[in-house]
Amino acid sequence: MNGHEIVYLDDVGLRLGNTIILREAKLSLGPGEKVGLLGPNGSGKTTLLRIIATLLQPTSGSGAVLGAEIGTQDVYEIRNRIVMVGHLPGLWPELTLGENTELVARLSGRSPEVAADALAQVGLARASERRADQSSKGMLRRAELARALILEPTLLLLDEAHAGLDAEAIGMVDTIANRVVAGGGAVMLVSHEPDRLNVHRSVQLVDGTLEMVS
Amino acid sequence: MTIVRNRWLEIVTVAIIGVSLFRSMTVVADVTQGDVQRIMYVHVPSAWLAFLAFMVTMVGSAAWLRTKDQRWDRLAASSAEIGVVFTGLAIVAGMIWAKPVWGQFWTWEPRLVTTALLFFIYLGYLALRRAVIDPVQRARRAAIMGIVAAVQIPIVYYSVNWWRSLHQPSSARSIDTPLRITLLLGVVAFTFAYAVLLRRRLELARLEEELDAKRFEQSQSVAGADITAPSLASHPHD
Amino acid sequence: MTFWRQVYEVARKDLLVESRTAEVALMTAPFGAAALILIPLAIGTDAPLLSQLGPGLYWIVVLLFGMLVILRKSAVDGQAQRDLVRLLGIEPAAAFAGATAATSALVLFFEVALGPILIALYNPELRGWPWLFVILPLVAIGMGLLGTIASGVTTSIGTRTSLTPLLIVPLSLPLLMGATQALEGLRLGRGIVPWLILLFAVDLALAVSGVLAARPLEEAVT
Repeated sequence: MNGHEIVYLDDVGLRLGNTIILREAKLSLGPGEKVGLLGPNGSGKTTLLRIIATLLQPTSGSGAVLGAEIGTQDVYEIRNRIVMVGHLPGLWPELTLGENTELVARLSGRSPEVAADALAQVGLARASERRADQSSKGMLRRAELARALILEPTLLLLDEAHAGLDAEAIGMVDTIANRVVAGGGAVMLVSHEPDRLNVHRSVQLVDGTLEMVS
Repeated sequence: MTIVRNRWLEIVTVAIIGVSLFRSMTVVADVTQGDVQRIMYVHVPSAWLAFLAFMVTMVGSAAWLRTKDQRWDRLAASSAEIGVVFTGLAIVAGMIWAKPVWGQFWTWEPRLVTTALLFFIYLGYLALRRAVIDPVQRARRAAIMGIVAAVQIPIVYYSVNWWRSLHQPSSARSIDTPLRITLLLGVVAFTFAYAVLLRRRLELARLEEELDAKRFEQSQSVAGADITAPSLASHPHD
Repeated sequence: MTFWRQVYEVARKDLLVESRTAEVALMTAPFGAAALILIPLAIGTDAPLLSQLGPGLYWIVVLLFGMLVILRKSAVDGQAQRDLVRLLGIEPAAAFAGATAATSALVLFFEVALGPILIALYNPELRGWPWLFVILPLVAIGMGLLGTIASGVTTSIGTRTSLTPLLIVPLSLPLLMGATQALEGLRLGRGIVPWLILLFAVDLALAVSGVLAARPLEEAVT
């Protein structure tokens, strides 16, 4: 580790019950890098993203994210620089898309106007009154991408980056990812369609370890 | 002589229980209550163990949170299991004692009420442990609940005590020296029994964990390995 | 963002979601009121008896039926929502305090909603009623704290709706004692300050426990 990496994992292992999710996973993600994460269903991609996001503690190994060693109390200080869009929507179904986005702004100490602006940018200005549980998967996904616009993260983690999105929205994912990369941040995208990823390099999760993909 | 060396705690415990039992049965009977009062020698030591066991659970919980060493979690869990048995015993013995003396199975005596609530607190603690599968998550959640409960138990006791003192004077009375010695002997005997049971339970918990580890070595699977290529072939132009 | 701003925003979020489901106002409160109607039909409708038993029964209904306030849908976030809140940098203690504030406010609402029913059906003595402005919130805060701690340790457990009340009810006894004895004290013209101190002490002990447990607990419910 040279101290400049955004994500650094050294021999990270995770065991849940009798299943080994990860073993000796090594990963290094530097500023300006956009990396794809590939792997078959159930191989632990989502779990790996949650470890990188400091939400899940590995059972072995060490690592650091944005300078904070994982498993220590330091992670509380850097979490607000990470945005993760998971495979389940991080929205409250009873609230409208507008309220959900405003909530992100409020909970992160920003003004609600930022939220309205972000919602317009992802093309949901006219759907802001629609409840999340009345919205399509693609709309929820767009509303979640608005979160990345509001928070301007240094580390962006996108699970199933292209699932449920139309061509326009896929272009939007690229734009948002490129913006993070241009600002010196790092992006990791999970996808089952490597051709669409448009990344610098890809790693693949096989049998609990990470392999480079040429 | 290895059996004596390995089993000294058990041997001493059986001896003390024997003496305590003999003493309980032969010591002079209570003047007013007669022989039925002898149940005190079971009731009071059981209640003492109920509280001792929960204190040990709390210590184990706090130590786990500090060290994350699973041995402390095993201690907390084992002690709680033994504690719930003795809490139940204390309540049943108390009720059997109360019926002939007060004419009813239950009185709203503060210690009795607190012990009864302790029983349910134990049950909840053990139910929580049973509901969480992952060992580390289980230890963490149980430790937090163990400590929160332990902080509340004295407040529970004082609130009942206080309520009771407003409604009727305390019925506590001093007891004669021979009876007190017998009672003390009972407490010592029960404490030894607790130590024996705890040691056995800890050993069992350790073996369970070893078995789990062995099973894991044999049956471990890597994420995704259980999913194979679908055998359903695609026939696009059928 | 300051700690208290975080607390406010978390509480606001919980109450906003609750305002959509309206579970407490439209389901739990009427359920509790129905219970207060049923009880006299079981124990007798004798007016002096009801007047005497009313306050005690009220607190039992608040405590037991209040479990439904604690278990309500808007108090439960799924993993995706929890991940979101954590990544927004909300301090776990602030998330705990915010959730407690929302639950306490809803328990208080539940208490206030049942009050008129109690007065109408049981005709209890109301001497010293202004003290209720102190007693009701202290009990509501205690229940909110206990509920948030217990809900925390039972997060994502399949049997949480049964397990959470089992964890809470035995520990809520001091709240019941404080509330019932304070009302009894008012009725008899005795001092009630010791009972208020008891309620306050319970709330304080639970608040300290909850704040200290917030970080370890957050790590336990990943």
